[in-house]
Amino acid sequence: MLYDQKPVTARMFFREAIKRAMHEEMARDPRIFIMGQDVGAFGGSYREFDGLFALFGPERVRDTPVAEAATIGIAAGAAAAGYRPVVSITYMDFLMLGFDALINYGAKLRYKSAGGLNAPLVVKTTAGAAGQGVAHSQCIEAWLMSVPGLRVVAASTPEDAYGLMKTALRCDGPVVYIDHKRLFPIPGDVPVSETAIPFGVACVRRAGTDLTLVSHGYMMRPALEAAEIVAAEGISCEVIDLRSLAPMDVDTLAASVARTGRLLTLEEGQTVCGVGTEVAYRTFERTGPMPWIRLGALPAPVSSNPVLEAACIPDAGRVADAMRALSAR
Amino acid sequence: MSRIDPIQALRAMLAIRAFEDALAQRKNHGFQLLSTGEEAVAVGLTSALGPADQLLTGGRSIGPALARGVPAGALMAELLGKVDGMNRGRAGRGHMSAPDYGFFGAHAVVGGNISVAAGVALAKQMDRDGGIVAIMFGDGACGAGALHETMNFAALWTLPILFVCNNNQLSVSTAREASMAPAALSDLGVAFGMWTRTIDGLDVAHVAEVAAEAVGHVRAGRGPAFLECQSIRLRSHSTTARETRSRAELAELRARCPIQRLAASLIEAGLLDAAQFATLQLEATAAAAQAMAHAEASPYPSAQEVLQHVV
Repeated sequence: MLYDQKPVTARMFFREAIKRAMHEEMARDPRIFIMGQDVGAFGGSYREFDGLFALFGPERVRDTPVAEAATIGIAAGAAAAGYRPVVSITYMDFLMLGFDALINYGAKLRYKSAGGLNAPLVVKTTAGAAGQGVAHSQCIEAWLMSVPGLRVVAASTPEDAYGLMKTALRCDGPVVYIDHKRLFPIPGDVPVSETAIPFGVACVRRAGTDLTLVSHGYMMRPALEAAEIVAAEGISCEVIDLRSLAPMDVDTLAASVARTGRLLTLEEGQTVCGVGTEVAYRTFERTGPMPWIRLGALPAPVSSNPVLEAACIPDAGRVADAMRALSAR
Repeated sequence: MSRIDPIQALRAMLAIRAFEDALAQRKNHGFQLLSTGEEAVAVGLTSALGPADQLLTGGRSIGPALARGVPAGALMAELLGKVDGMNRGRAGRGHMSAPDYGFFGAHAVVGGNISVAAGVALAKQMDRDGGIVAIMFGDGACGAGALHETMNFAALWTLPILFVCNNNQLSVSTAREASMAPAALSDLGVAFGMWTRTIDGLDVAHVAEVAAEAVGHVRAGRGPAFLECQSIRLRSHSTTARETRSRAELAELRARCPIQRLAASLIEAGLLDAAQFATLQLEATAAAAQAMAHAEASPYPSAQEVLQHVV
């Protein structure tokens, strides 16, 4: 068909989608600049800033020393003073070093100044396990979701990586933008026209009637794989991608669970005080209590040992087992 | 030669002293960190700053904010949690800001304010507006990693920032000698190639003169500077912390009061007499009482405001 209603798309990798959003937004807004380790000529540890240094120069693409605390602090200060910094923190585990500036200063600045100041800062960081060990593998997004004033998003497709970054760069407050190591080599279709994806809007990736699975980030892949497996057994699983953890699209979650009557939450991080627990509580506030299983990492650090790493983190087989168990309730 | 009008400096120091005294005397004044004994640092430093500059501080922010020109009534209201405060009373001493007055604000996590200040300095550098940033912190903050990381950044990027250590010799109860290894705290800047100086922070004219030199260095784009002002703390760490020093020790410190010292030198030089000094003190007390009356007359916010300005 010559005039298709679907948007024209281009195939690209996750990292290219991030770079495209950065490029477009930096060209639009001279206040945006990047700082982080190896973001300059090197192009970022995952090449997600490839070419931006050549385009925008060292003032807007700034290599930093290994100093996460001061990097985020400087970004927060520059944001408060009118700029829109993007800080690249190579691993989410290292974000802990910058919590003071991000949480105590950035996230509270609008509140404590009664709206006089804000800190439009984006911290782009990488979550998840890929063989790098106990301090390079964590998913601590649930910690961040509990901070008033902080927005937390996690894309699972190049399209969302692009659209969520566009929104993050236009947002008037600190945003933690989480990508995942295992998503970088995965291509996807991204609209050719500029399309921002609003925060607080979840996406139904697969329609279903027997249970609702809610997840985000890389875990969407085992989730969809498992949904396919159990579909052959006659279990129809709706799969929802949160995309935005804070704010959270409770409307979409509650509408789905009200229909399916069962909830499976899935995350790569810890289940204690985790994303899934929050999803369940806020969903059941609307729907009333429903059968629920929460799946996440085992309560152990994530080792670089391949056997122990795989043992710790959910995979499609474990997700499928949980779907079967839940649908039998 | 002094760069500051000594009578104006005396007025400014008396204003801080009287303001903090009035605050301390008020019942239910909250958790306050006062700067009694440290007034010459704030007044001397701010005399060297211009309107395009910004000052940031740690939690010991009241004196510096007043010295920077934040209106006393709004400041007192802020400290007491009233809506006429600059931040509607929700920031308090630890987190207040008044950037229109060149007081970009406090951040009371010790050391954490320093990198934020460098970010404001980076913004000024990119704005190319000629403004600089001064960041005040205590000797206690000198052990914090944030300071060391930030000094490296500031030197690497030639940021227009003046690090001002108000060394009041005590980190709550821990003596400076027990918490910091360097002989002088300004030595911390040496490794980063900074302009550094350690001076008597009780001599306001000297602070003003050296601060002007440091500001000139920073403003000229010659990189960051580190100024250590050795002062004294005449009160306990906070209004709720117990005093750890002996009476004799405190009496000895009080004899070094920067305000009395300035007044005595002016009287000796024939620029002030005892009656005029008494008048200045009364004026400062009256202004503090007025600020307190303004704050007392202002209401607390309504509880409905608790969810405003969160995101």
